Amino acid sequence: MRLAYVRGTLTLAPAIEELKGRRLIVLEPVTMDNLRAKNGKGGGKALIAVDELGAHEGQLVAFTEGREAANPFWPKNAPVDAYCAMIVDSVDL
Amino acid sequence: MYLARVEGTVVATVKHSTLEGCRFLLAQRLESDGTPAAEPQIVLDWIGALRGQLILVSTDGDIARVKLGNTTPARLVVAGIVDNVAAPGWKIGELA
Repeated sequence: MRLAYVRGTLTLAPAIEELKGRRLIVLEPVTMDNLRAKNGKGGGKALIAVDELGAHEGQLVAFTEGREAANPFWPKNAPVDAYCAMIVDSVDL
Repeated sequence: MYLARVEGTVVATVKHSTLEGCRFLLAQRLESDGTPAAEPQIVLDWIGALRGQLILVSTDGDIARVKLGNTTPARLVVAGIVDNVAAPGWKIGELA
Protein backbone atom coordinates (compact mmCIF):
# COMPACT_ATOMS: atom_id res chain seq x y z
CA MET A 1 0.00 0.00 0.00
CA ARG A 2 1.14 3.49 -0.79
CA LEU A 3 0.23 6.61 1.12
CA ALA A 4 -1.78 9.32 -0.58
CA TYR A 5 -3.64 12.54 0.12
CA VAL A 6 -7.30 12.61 -0.84
CA ARG A 7 -7.79 15.45 -3.29
CA GLY A 8 -11.48 14.97 -4.02
CA THR A 9 -14.17 12.64 -5.30
CA LEU A 10 -15.72 11.82 -8.64
CA THR A 11 -18.88 10.27 -9.99
CA LEU A 12 -19.58 8.27 -13.14
CA ALA A 13 -22.63 8.48 -15.40
CA PRO A 14 -23.02 5.98 -16.83
CA ALA A 15 -20.85 3.43 -15.07
CA ILE A 16 -20.33 -0.28 -15.52
CA GLU A 17 -22.52 -2.40 -13.25
CA GLU A 18 -19.72 -3.34 -10.84
CA LEU A 19 -18.91 0.29 -10.07
CA LYS A 20 -22.45 1.60 -9.68
CA GLY A 21 -22.96 3.16 -6.27
CA ARG A 22 -19.25 2.93 -5.42
CA ARG A 23 -17.53 5.92 -3.88
CA LEU A 24 -14.51 6.99 -5.90
CA ILE A 25 -11.78 9.24 -4.57
CA VAL A 26 -8.99 11.16 -6.29
CA LEU A 27 -5.61 10.36 -4.74
CA GLU A 28 -2.17 11.95 -4.91
CA PRO A 29 0.51 9.50 -3.65
CA VAL A 30 3.05 10.85 -1.19
CA THR A 31 6.80 10.67 -1.66
CA MET A 32 9.18 9.99 1.22
CA ASP A 33 10.56 13.53 1.03
CA ASN A 34 7.11 15.12 1.29
CA LEU A 35 6.13 12.77 4.09
CA ARG A 36 9.21 13.73 6.10
CA ALA A 37 8.66 17.43 5.36
CA LYS A 38 5.02 17.14 6.57
CA ASN A 39 4.14 19.76 3.97
CA GLY A 40 0.81 18.34 2.86
CA LYS A 41 2.17 17.76 -0.63
CA GLY A 42 1.97 14.44 -2.45
CA GLY A 43 4.24 14.51 -5.44
CA GLY A 44 3.16 11.18 -6.94
CA LYS A 45 1.13 10.47 -10.04
CA ALA A 46 -2.60 10.95 -9.34
CA LEU A 47 -5.00 8.02 -9.50
CA ILE A 48 -8.54 6.99 -8.59
CA ALA A 49 -9.46 4.49 -5.89
CA VAL A 50 -12.64 2.92 -4.51
CA ASP A 51 -13.38 4.08 -0.97
CA GLU A 52 -15.66 2.43 1.58
CA LEU A 53 -14.25 4.21 4.64
CA GLY A 54 -15.55 7.69 3.90
CA ALA A 55 -12.18 9.37 3.45
CA HIS A 56 -12.48 13.05 2.77
CA GLU A 57 -10.42 15.75 1.13
CA GLY A 58 -7.07 16.45 2.74
CA GLN A 59 -6.88 13.18 4.68
CA LEU A 60 -3.89 10.86 4.44
CA VAL A 61 -4.93 7.36 3.39
CA ALA A 62 -3.27 4.09 2.42
CA PHE A 63 -4.42 2.33 -0.74
CA THR A 64 -3.82 -1.16 -2.09
CA GLU A 65 -2.93 -1.66 -5.73
CA GLY A 66 -3.27 -4.60 -8.07
CA ARG A 67 -5.46 -7.66 -7.96
CA GLU A 68 -5.77 -7.48 -4.16
CA ALA A 69 -7.68 -4.19 -4.52
CA ALA A 70 -10.66 -6.24 -5.76
CA ASN A 71 -10.56 -8.69 -2.82
CA PRO A 72 -13.04 -6.72 -0.68
CA PHE A 73 -15.69 -7.46 -3.31
CA TRP A 74 -15.05 -11.21 -3.18
CA PRO A 75 -16.73 -13.50 -4.26
CA LYS A 76 -17.92 -11.01 -6.86
CA ASN A 77 -15.58 -9.85 -9.57
CA ALA A 78 -14.86 -6.15 -9.74
CA PRO A 79 -12.57 -4.27 -12.13
CA VAL A 80 -10.96 -2.39 -9.23
CA ASP A 81 -7.18 -1.97 -9.06
CA ALA A 82 -6.92 0.64 -6.31
CA TYR A 83 -8.74 0.45 -2.96
CA CYS A 84 -8.56 2.76 0.04
CA ALA A 85 -7.75 0.36 2.90
CA MET A 86 -7.09 2.77 5.75
CA ILE A 87 -7.33 6.35 6.90
CA VAL A 88 -3.99 7.09 8.51
CA ASP A 89 -3.86 8.57 12.02
CA SER A 90 -0.10 8.91 12.23
CA VAL A 91 3.16 7.89 10.64
CA ASP A 92 5.99 7.40 13.10
CA LEU A 93 9.25 7.93 11.23
CA MET B 1 10.12 -9.49 -4.14
CA TYR B 2 12.37 -6.57 -3.46
CA LEU B 3 14.56 -5.06 -0.77
CA ALA B 4 13.43 -2.14 1.36
CA ARG B 5 14.50 -0.28 4.47
CA VAL B 6 12.07 0.06 7.37
CA GLU B 7 11.48 3.79 7.90
CA GLY B 8 8.82 3.64 10.59
CA THR B 9 5.36 2.47 11.57
CA VAL B 10 1.85 3.53 10.60
CA VAL B 11 -1.23 3.76 12.82
CA ALA B 12 -4.79 3.84 11.49
CA THR B 13 -8.01 3.58 13.50
CA VAL B 14 -10.34 3.60 10.51
CA LYS B 15 -9.39 0.73 8.23
CA HIS B 16 -10.70 -2.33 6.42
CA SER B 17 -12.05 -4.72 9.06
CA THR B 18 -9.68 -7.53 8.03
CA LEU B 19 -6.68 -5.34 8.94
CA GLU B 20 -7.64 -5.08 12.60
CA GLY B 21 -4.72 -5.89 14.88
CA CYS B 22 -2.10 -5.92 12.15
CA ARG B 23 1.30 -4.26 12.40
CA PHE B 24 2.08 -1.86 9.58
CA LEU B 25 5.56 -0.76 8.63
CA LEU B 26 6.47 2.07 6.32
CA ALA B 27 9.22 0.75 4.05
CA GLN B 28 11.27 2.43 1.35
CA ARG B 29 12.24 0.28 -1.60
CA LEU B 30 15.91 0.68 -2.47
CA GLU B 31 17.94 0.45 -5.66
CA SER B 32 21.03 -1.71 -5.69
CA ASP B 33 23.14 1.34 -4.80
CA GLY B 34 21.00 2.06 -1.76
CA THR B 35 19.11 5.05 -3.18
CA PRO B 36 15.31 5.21 -2.80
CA ALA B 37 13.10 3.74 -5.54
CA ALA B 38 9.60 5.21 -5.98
CA GLU B 39 7.24 6.09 -3.14
CA PRO B 40 7.38 4.38 0.27
CA GLN B 41 5.01 1.45 0.88
CA ILE B 42 3.07 0.19 3.85
CA VAL B 43 3.94 -3.46 4.51
CA LEU B 44 2.28 -5.96 6.84
CA ASP B 45 4.69 -7.36 9.36
CA TRP B 46 4.31 -10.63 11.22
CA ILE B 47 8.03 -10.98 11.87
CA GLY B 48 8.83 -7.92 13.96
CA ALA B 49 11.16 -5.90 11.74
CA LEU B 50 12.60 -2.73 13.28
CA ARG B 51 13.31 0.74 11.96
CA GLY B 52 16.49 0.86 9.91
CA GLN B 53 16.48 -2.86 9.09
CA LEU B 54 16.70 -4.13 5.53
CA ILE B 55 13.74 -6.37 4.70
CA LEU B 56 12.55 -8.54 1.84
CA VAL B 57 9.08 -7.43 0.70
CA SER B 58 6.78 -9.80 -1.16
CA THR B 59 4.14 -8.22 -3.36
CA ASP B 60 2.01 -11.37 -3.44
CA GLY B 61 -1.17 -11.17 -1.39
CA ASP B 62 -1.64 -14.90 -0.86
CA ILE B 63 -0.17 -15.01 2.65
CA ALA B 64 -2.29 -12.05 3.69
CA ARG B 65 -5.39 -13.68 2.25
CA VAL B 66 -4.75 -16.94 4.10
CA LYS B 67 -4.21 -15.10 7.39
CA LEU B 68 -6.83 -12.36 7.05
CA GLY B 69 -9.51 -13.86 4.80
CA ASN B 70 -10.56 -13.69 1.17
CA THR B 71 -11.85 -10.14 1.36
CA THR B 72 -8.67 -8.53 2.63
CA PRO B 73 -7.10 -5.81 0.50
CA ALA B 74 -3.71 -6.51 2.13
CA ARG B 75 -0.95 -7.35 -0.30
CA LEU B 76 2.61 -6.45 0.68
CA VAL B 77 4.16 -8.50 3.47
CA VAL B 78 7.56 -8.71 5.15
CA ALA B 79 9.00 -11.98 3.87
CA GLY B 80 12.14 -11.73 5.99
CA ILE B 81 14.78 -9.56 7.56
CA VAL B 82 17.88 -9.51 5.40
CA ASP B 83 20.93 -11.00 7.04
CA ASN B 84 23.41 -10.68 4.20
CA VAL B 85 23.45 -9.73 0.52
CA ALA B 86 26.29 -11.26 -1.45
CA ALA B 87 26.01 -9.47 -4.79
CA PRO B 88 29.16 -7.74 -6.09
CA GLY B 89 28.60 -4.03 -6.57
CA TRP B 90 25.39 -3.98 -4.55
CA LYS B 91 26.02 -1.35 -1.91
CA ILE B 92 22.64 -2.19 -0.44
CA GLY B 93 24.28 -5.17 1.25
CA GLU B 94 26.10 -2.82 3.59
CA LEU B 95 22.74 -1.87 5.09
CA ALA B 96 22.02 -5.40 6.23
